Amino acid sequence: MEPAQAEDENLVQETLAGGQTSFQLLVERYQDRIFALARHYTRNPVEVEDLVQDTFLKAFSHLDTFQGQSSFFTWLYRIAVNTILDGMKRRGRSPVRAVEDPEALATPGPTRMSGPSADMEREEIARITHAVLAELPEIFRAVLVMREFEELSYQQMADVLQISIGTVESRLFRARAKFKDKLLQRHPEFGQE
Amino acid sequence: MECNQARPLIPSYLDGELSEARAAPLRRHLLDCQPCRAGAQGEKNLKRWFAAGVPVEVPKGFAARVARRAFAGDTGEAVVEIVPAVGAALGARPLPVRGEDRLLRFVLQATAAAALVVIALSVALRSLSLPSGTSLQAADSRNEISVDRALERLDQLNRQEARGDRTHPETTPVKGRRP
Repeated sequence: MEPAQAEDENLVQETLAGGQTSFQLLVERYQDRIFALARHYTRNPVEVEDLVQDTFLKAFSHLDTFQGQSSFFTWLYRIAVNTILDGMKRRGRSPVRAVEDPEALATPGPTRMSGPSADMEREEIARITHAVLAELPEIFRAVLVMREFEELSYQQMADVLQISIGTVESRLFRARAKFKDKLLQRHPEFGQE
Repeated sequence: MECNQARPLIPSYLDGELSEARAAPLRRHLLDCQPCRAGAQGEKNLKRWFAAGVPVEVPKGFAARVARRAFAGDTGEAVVEIVPAVGAALGARPLPVRGEDRLLRFVLQATAAAALVVIALSVALRSLSLPSGTSLQAADSRNEISVDRALERLDQLNRQEARGDRTHPETTPVKGRRP
């Protein structure tokens, strides 16, 4: 077991024994990553804070079910994904945009795309990327966010989503193809023949 | 390795997620195949769109606040706020107001305010429809007579009735109105 993981498990045990400070330390360890995740679903800072807070409160109330089979982060991340999606549905802003077979593999079209041009501002790139992500079915957006922004490994993604690594691979492949299609629809200037 | 086998592996290869057993033949293929190399470059370009992460700002004191709430019994799932009086009787403390609670509270307050406005309007309308001042107005005829004149007429009728004078057209008793 990695040292960070062992520390997490110690903090979990201390929290279960009534240590409020230990739980606070757990929150401090992962709050940045959960805030970053929530921000991919809503830009409203109040909503983001509510979603992250609910994630940690749910984690606390179910802490005794954490078995240590996966890392604490993976366990927490799974709660976060479910909390965020439920929260968005409750607010009437279901992020699920389309019903598709996520495992259906399709070969991307021949059109290639360029990256953002060198003179583009960071904020402009982020704005375009988030606008395109918002158009993707949730099932594709989730894997892109986890991989490209959160840099989760395929194994972590498989644990969070409770799917096989092969499914992660094919879903990511399709998600990237979709992202490319949507981006080129909005910005054909980034296409390459 | 053929192109149709190589293409789906390229993203995983760039993610560093391919085992050496799968990566080695792909590398050989990429050395020989210009279109697949161009495809790999396209995947790298795609990744550049995700490089511009937006910095995250965590509100000050967030972790301490969440830990306090967790130990106060907030599960992050309950929306119902405990009413202080009832909560005190049960030995429970009222939960702090969360985002959803704030919305619920706002809806309840707006409903209460709307109810008060409706009640006030109905009272005002009723007072407007009641007769007032020193005149009486018949709703059907809209003929106005003074209160003094009406009382005088009533006295006159009573006197005539007491005398047994039933010939005057105005003295015809109205059923059920006789004292």
